[in-house]
Amino acid sequence: MKRFRRHGQETHRDRLKQELYQFAKTVEHGFPHQPSALGYSPNLQLLAIGTRSGAIKLYGAPGVEFMGLHDENAAVTQIHFLPHQGELITLLDDNSLHMWTLRAHQGLSELLEVGRFTLTGPPGAPPSVTRVTAVLAHSSGELLFLGTEGGHVFVVEVPGFRELEERNISVEAVQQRVPEDYMGRRNLECVEALQENPLNPHQILIGYSRGLMLTWDLDTNCSRHHFLGTQQLESVWWTPDGQQILSSHSDGSYCQWTLNDEDRQAEPDKHEMPYGTFPCKAISKIMQLSTKQGPPFLIFSGGMPRASYGDRHCISVIHSKTHVALDFTSRIIDYFATTSGAQGKGEPSALVVLVEEELVVVDLETEGWPVIQTPYLAPLHCSAITCSHHVSNIPLKLWERIRAAGQHQSAHYSRKPWPVKGGQNLAPDAPQRDLLLTGHEDGTVRFWDASGVCLYPLYKLSTAGVFHADADTTDNMNHGAEGEWPPFRKVGCFDPYSDDPRLGIQKIHLCKYSGYLAVAGTAGQIVVLELNDEPAEQLVEGTLADLLQGQEGFRWKGHTRLEVREEAVAFPAGFQPFALVQCQPPAVVTSLALHSEWKLVAFGTSHGFGLYDYQQKNTVLVRCTLNPSDQLALEGPLSRVKSIKKSLRQSFRRIRRSRVSVRKHHVGNAAKLQEINARLEAEALQEMELAPVQRKIEARSSDDSFTGLVRTLYFADSFLSDGSHNSPSLWAGTNGGSVFAYTLRLPPSDRRMEDPITAYPAKEIQLMHRAPVVGIVVLDGRGAPLPEPLEVAHDLARSPDMHNAHHLLVISEEQFKMFTLPKVSSKLKLKLTALDGSRVRKVGVASFGSSRVEDYSESGLVVLTNQGDLHVISLPSLKMQVRYPCVRREDVSGIASCVFTKYGQGFYLISPSEFERFSLSARWLVEPRCLVELPPTPSSSASKPLPRAQPDGAAVQHRNFRRDRENCEENVSPRVMEHALLNDEKVLQEIQRSLEGDQTSYLEHHSKSKPGGGKLITNGE
Amino acid sequence: MNRSFNKSQSLRYLDCTAVEVKSKYGAEFRRFSVDRFKPGKFEEFYKLILHIHRITNMEVMLGYADVHGDLLPINNDDNFCKAVSTANPLLRVFIQRQEEVDYSSFGTNTLTRKKKAVVTLRNDVNRKRPHIRIGMPQDFRPVSSIIDVDILPESHRRVRLYRHGSDKPLGFYIRDGTSVRVTPHGLEKVPGIFISRMVPGGLAESTGLLAVNDEVLEVNGIEVTGKTLDQVTDMMIANSHNLIITVKPVNQRNNIVRSSRISGSSGQSTDSGSSAGFAGMPPPIAGHSFPPDDLESDEESDIVIESNLKRPSRRSTSSTASRAQPQAMPPAPPPPPPPSPPRPPSVISTASFHSQPSLNGAGNHNLSYKLHRDLNLQHHHSSTPIIRESNGSLHKILNTLRTDPRHSLALPRGGVEEDGTVITL
Repeated sequence: MKRFRRHGQETHRDRLKQELYQFAKTVEHGFPHQPSALGYSPNLQLLAIGTRSGAIKLYGAPGVEFMGLHDENAAVTQIHFLPHQGELITLLDDNSLHMWTLRAHQGLSELLEVGRFTLTGPPGAPPSVTRVTAVLAHSSGELLFLGTEGGHVFVVEVPGFRELEERNISVEAVQQRVPEDYMGRRNLECVEALQENPLNPHQILIGYSRGLMLTWDLDTNCSRHHFLGTQQLESVWWTPDGQQILSSHSDGSYCQWTLNDEDRQAEPDKHEMPYGTFPCKAISKIMQLSTKQGPPFLIFSGGMPRASYGDRHCISVIHSKTHVALDFTSRIIDYFATTSGAQGKGEPSALVVLVEEELVVVDLETEGWPVIQTPYLAPLHCSAITCSHHVSNIPLKLWERIRAAGQHQSAHYSRKPWPVKGGQNLAPDAPQRDLLLTGHEDGTVRFWDASGVCLYPLYKLSTAGVFHADADTTDNMNHGAEGEWPPFRKVGCFDPYSDDPRLGIQKIHLCKYSGYLAVAGTAGQIVVLELNDEPAEQLVEGTLADLLQGQEGFRWKGHTRLEVREEAVAFPAGFQPFALVQCQPPAVVTSLALHSEWKLVAFGTSHGFGLYDYQQKNTVLVRCTLNPSDQLALEGPLSRVKSIKKSLRQSFRRIRRSRVSVRKHHVGNAAKLQEINARLEAEALQEMELAPVQRKIEARSSDDSFTGLVRTLYFADSFLSDGSHNSPSLWAGTNGGSVFAYTLRLPPSDRRMEDPITAYPAKEIQLMHRAPVVGIVVLDGRGAPLPEPLEVAHDLARSPDMHNAHHLLVISEEQFKMFTLPKVSSKLKLKLTALDGSRVRKVGVASFGSSRVEDYSESGLVVLTNQGDLHVISLPSLKMQVRYPCVRREDVSGIASCVFTKYGQGFYLISPSEFERFSLSARWLVEPRCLVELPPTPSSSASKPLPRAQPDGAAVQHRNFRRDRENCEENVSPRVMEHALLNDEKVLQEIQRSLEGDQTSYLEHHSKSKPGGGKLITNGE
Repeated sequence: MNRSFNKSQSLRYLDCTAVEVKSKYGAEFRRFSVDRFKPGKFEEFYKLILHIHRITNMEVMLGYADVHGDLLPINNDDNFCKAVSTANPLLRVFIQRQEEVDYSSFGTNTLTRKKKAVVTLRNDVNRKRPHIRIGMPQDFRPVSSIIDVDILPESHRRVRLYRHGSDKPLGFYIRDGTSVRVTPHGLEKVPGIFISRMVPGGLAESTGLLAVNDEVLEVNGIEVTGKTLDQVTDMMIANSHNLIITVKPVNQRNNIVRSSRISGSSGQSTDSGSSAGFAGMPPPIAGHSFPPDDLESDEESDIVIESNLKRPSRRSTSSTASRAQPQAMPPAPPPPPPPSPPRPPSVISTASFHSQPSLNGAGNHNLSYKLHRDLNLQHHHSSTPIIRESNGSLHKILNTLRTDPRHSLALPRGGVEEDGTVITL
C-alpha cells in the first residue's frame, strides 16, 4: 500500500516536472563569429550571413531571424537568393552547393536545407574544372550558372540540381571567338564574375580572372560582346540601365565599358585609379547605383595605396562631389546597397557592410551619411567581454531612465528606420523587461535589452573617467585632417584593444529598484554609481581597503592600483559614480554584493573581503582570508600574465598592419592548409599517447593555493545569533571551503548618516571537503530563498516567512549542503561530485512556473557543471530534478560565461561575440517566431514552387529516385553525392518504396509543379 | 635457553595452566607465573610488572619474545593474550623505559639479529632504516581494508582507504588507458582508467593493496565507465575522506582465496596468510551497492564555530582585542552598540567563544573527543581576560586540529587566541 502510494506520488512529480522544465536553446544573440559570406534578397528584404563554421543566419525586420547549419564543417563562401523566391543557394568551401528554403509551417517560417549538390566534371578531369568560383542565380529562378576555376560555366537546373550539359559554356567555346593575339599562349584562368543583364535576362556577362569579359546569349548559345581587358579582374558590375559595365582590377583601378554594336572592344571608355599614382591594392568589388536625378553613387571596396594605407579596410563612396573612404576596423567580407523602392528599384537608401567583426549600415539618404544603429547583430565584443550580469523584470521607471540615458548617447546615429525589413515578427511581446549587462575589458558596462529575440543596445557606461588611464588621448588617427587624401571616415565600433587592462570589469551588481549600480574591476576597484537623469560633475574620492590586515612577509608583484582623478569629473546623464573603494593589494575583485536597502557593498578578492557603507562612505569591515603559506596569492599571479598579454597585443597589431588583404579564391591553399592541420593534429595526438596524461589523487588541504579567494558574498536578514531575533548579516564563502558570517548592526534610519554600522563575526564554517564555496543562500521558513533587497518594499515579492526556522544553503563545487539556523548543523546534502564526477561551475536561484497552471511556481537551483550539463535542483528538498547537456565540456569559456536569469533562462558565450540563449522553463521561452511571406510570383513563372509540408526525407527520396532513373537512361557515371546517399540504408529503403509505389509523386516532382519542400536536415532549431 | 626449556618442562608437570614468566629490566630478572587461560587484563599485568620490578612510577614499554624469536610489543589486551597463549613454554618479557624505547628492536627477526649485532659492530644496528613508531592502542586506526570479498568476482578487489585524521597523502595517480573486455562480439578494447603512479610513503602505497596499472572500475560504488579522467579524478577527490576503489589488479596472482576470508588486514598484502584482524576494527561493510551517504562516517562533518556576540571592543588600528566573557553568562541578545567614534577601516571585531559540551560528538571517534578536550583545556588556560591577537588564526588552528590531533595537544606556536570554542563534529 505504502509502495503504491509512493509510486503515485512519483508519477505526480514526474508530471509536474514536465510542466515546469523544458530545455531549449532558443536564439543566438550578437554577431556571428567569423562571418565569411553575405547575401541579400531585395524581394524578401532578408539578408543572409554565412560563417566559417558552416552556419547561415537570415535576418529581416527586427525579431525576424532564422538559422541553419550545414552538416559539413566548411566555410560558407557565397550565398545567393534565388530571385523572386524563398530559396537560397550556399556555396561551401568544400565546393558543395546547398539549397535552403523558407517553409511555412503552422503559421511560422522555418529555414530548411532541401538539397545539396556537387558539380561533377567529365571523368578524369582535374578538380579545378569543377571548382566553383562564381555563382549566378538566374532571374528565371530555374537556372544556376556556375563558373569554375577551370574557366567553364556549368548550367544547373534548380530546384533539383540537374546539370544541363548541353547548355554549358566551355572555355574552348569562348576561346574560339577571342582573337589569337589577345589570347597568346595564356589561358583565361578562372571565372571571376557572372552577371545577368538587368534588362535582358537572356544575356549574361562572364568575367575571367585574366581580364577578358564577354556577354553570352543564352538563346543562341554564343558570345556577343567581348571586352578585352588586360588587368587581372576582381569584379564586374552591370549598371541597372544595361548600357554600361564596370570592371574592377587587382591593381586598384576600375574600367567602364559601354555596350555597343562592336563585337570586340580592346580599350575601356574610362580607366581610372581612384587612389592612383603609387601602386594600389585591388578593388575587390565595385557597384554603381543610379539616382533619378543627378549623378550615380559609385561604391567600391579596397583600392588603397599599398604602401601608406595598405592595411586599411575601406569602402569608398563617391556621389557627385562627395567622396568618403569609410574606414572599418576589421576586414570587409562583403557589402550591398538597399534601395528605397521594392524589387531593388528606386533610389539607393543604405549601404550594408559586413565586416569581420560587425555589421555597419550607412544611411545614404541623409546628409553626412550617418550610421544606422543595428537592431540586431550587435558586436558584443567591441571590447572583449569580461563578465555579464542579468537582471530580470526591470521596473518601467528604471527602464525608461536607462533608455533615455542611452538615447543621449546615440544622437549621432541616423534617424532612418532599419532598411532591412523582410518578414513579420509574430513573437508575442516579451513578458517582462530584462536587462543583460556586459562588462568589458576597456572598463565599460553595456546595457542590453534582453527581453526579446533581439539583443538591443540600450546604454553604455564607461568607468574609465574616474581614473587617470594610461590611454593616449592624443592618438587621433581616426580624425583625418582637413583635405586629407584619401578622405577617411572611421565607422564601426569594434575596437578590441584596451589600453589599460586594469580597467576591465569583473563583477557587476545592479539594484533594479533603487538604480544603484556597483561595478568591480581587475585592479581591485569597486565603483558605486547612481542613476542621474542630468549630466553632473562628480568628485569621486577613493577609499582604500587594506585586505592584508598587517599580514607579514608578503609582497604584491602584480599590477599597481589605478590612479584616481583628484578633480571633479563631468559625467553625462546616466549612471554616475559617487563612491570608490580600492583594494590593497589591488588584486582582481572576485565577488561583489550590493544591498541597496542597507546601502552596503561587499567585495572580495583573493586576499579577503570587505564591507563598505556607501552612505557614509567608509569601510565597515575588512577581513583577511589569506592562508599565510599561500605564496601564489601573495605575489599576484597577474604580473606575469599581464606582460604576456601586452606583448601579444602588440604583436597582433603588428600582424594586422602587415597583413595584406586575403584574396578571394585560395582554393589550393585552403585544401593544403587543412591537410597540414590534420597531420599536425594527428601528430599531437600521437605524442599525447606516448606521454599519457595523469591526474593526482589527493585530498584538498589547507595548503592549496588560493584557498582564501573569496568566491561568493551574500546579504541576508535572518536568524544568525538566536532563533527569535532576526538581524542583517553578511556571508562570505572562500575557495578553501570556508564560510564566514557576520552580524551587521544598522542604526535606525533617522540616525543612518551619523551612527556607524558595525559588523561582528558570528560564525565560521569549514567544510570538511574543502571545495570552493560558489553560492550561499538563506531559505525562509517556507523553504523559499529570501527575496532581494527592496523587493518586498516594492510589493514584488512575498515577504519572507520569519516565524519558522530559516535554513542556510551552502553550495560548494562538490556539494549542496543545508544547515539549520541559528545553530549551524548539517541537515541535508546532495553530493554531486561524489555521484557523477561533475563539479558546480555556475549556480543561480530561479523560479519555475508551471506551463499548465497559471499560479503554480516553485523555486529551484539552476546549476551548470564543468561537464557542461545543466541541472535543476529542487528547493528546499535538494533533489535533482532534470539534467540537460548544454555546453560542450571542452568549451571552458562558454561554461565560465554563463549567467542565469531569475526565471529559468540563461545565456552563455558560444564565441567571443555571440550569446546563446537557452531556457529551462516550460513557461517562459523567448524564441524567434516569424513568418516570411513569399512575394507574389510573376505570372510567367507559374511553376514557382510552393513550399509544402512533406514527411521527412521526401526531398531526398524524390531527387534520388529521379537521379536513379537518369543514371539508367543517360548512363552517366555515378556521382559522388549520390553514392553517399545510396550508402544510407534509410534512403535506399525510401528509394525502393518510391520505385514500387507512388509514381505520381515522382511525376509531380518531375514536372516541378510541386517540388518537395521536405525536410532533409532540420537545423532551424 | 636450554635451561629454561627444561625448567618449564618440569613446571608443566606441576601445573599445566600456569605460564612461567621471566621478565627482564636492565640487568634484573624477575620470575613469576600467570594463568595461561585466564591471563587477565593488560593493565593488571602492566601494574604487576611495575610492582615486581619496583619501578612503579615509571613509564615503560613491554615486549616479549615470540616463538620465532621476534621481539614484539605487549601494549594491549590482545597482544598480551597472544603472548601468554603462545608462550612456549616460557614467556620472556623485556622491559624498556618509555623514553629509551628503541623501536627498531621490534619486529621480525629482531632478537636473532640483535644477537648477531652484539657479536658484530654496534654501529651496524644503528644504521638500520628509520623505525616505525608503534603507538599506544588508542592511537591505532585502520588505514585500509579489503571489503566485499564475498560479492565481488575473484579478479576484482574493493579497497577502502581511511584517511581521517591522518596527514598522510593518498598518494597515487590515475591515467587513461585501454582495457580488454570480453563481450558477446568477442574481445573488445574499451577505454578505462588505470593507476599510473604511487607516491612513495603515501597511503595507497603503504597499504599494498593497490598497484600501478590496476584498472579502476568503481569509485565508492559508482562505475567509472563512460567518465572522463577528470571526472574520475574529481569523484575520487570528493570521496577522499573515505575512498573505496574497486580495481582489477594487474597482478592476479595474489587474489584472495575464497576459503580464507580475511578481513581488514592492515598494512600487509592479503596473500601473506598470516595477518590477523585487529580487534576493534570496523567489520567490513557488506552489501552490493554503496549509497555514498550510508558509507559516510562522521569524519566528514564540517567544523562550525559559533561565537557569542558581546560588546565590541574599541581598539587601535590594526590590533584586535577581545575580552573574555564570564562563562556563566547565558547567550543573550546582543546589547545595542555603544555610540562610538567612526571605526578605522581595518578594524576587526573578534569573537568570544563559549565552551559547550558537544552535542553529537559523543559517539565520535577519538579525534573529536580530543579536539574537544584540547579546546576546553585551552579555554581554562586563557580564560583570564587578556588581550590577544586574532586574525584568521582560528582558521589556522582548525587546520592544524584537523590534520593532526596530536599537534593540538601540544598547542602549537600560533596558539589559540579565542576564549573558548564550540566545535560541533
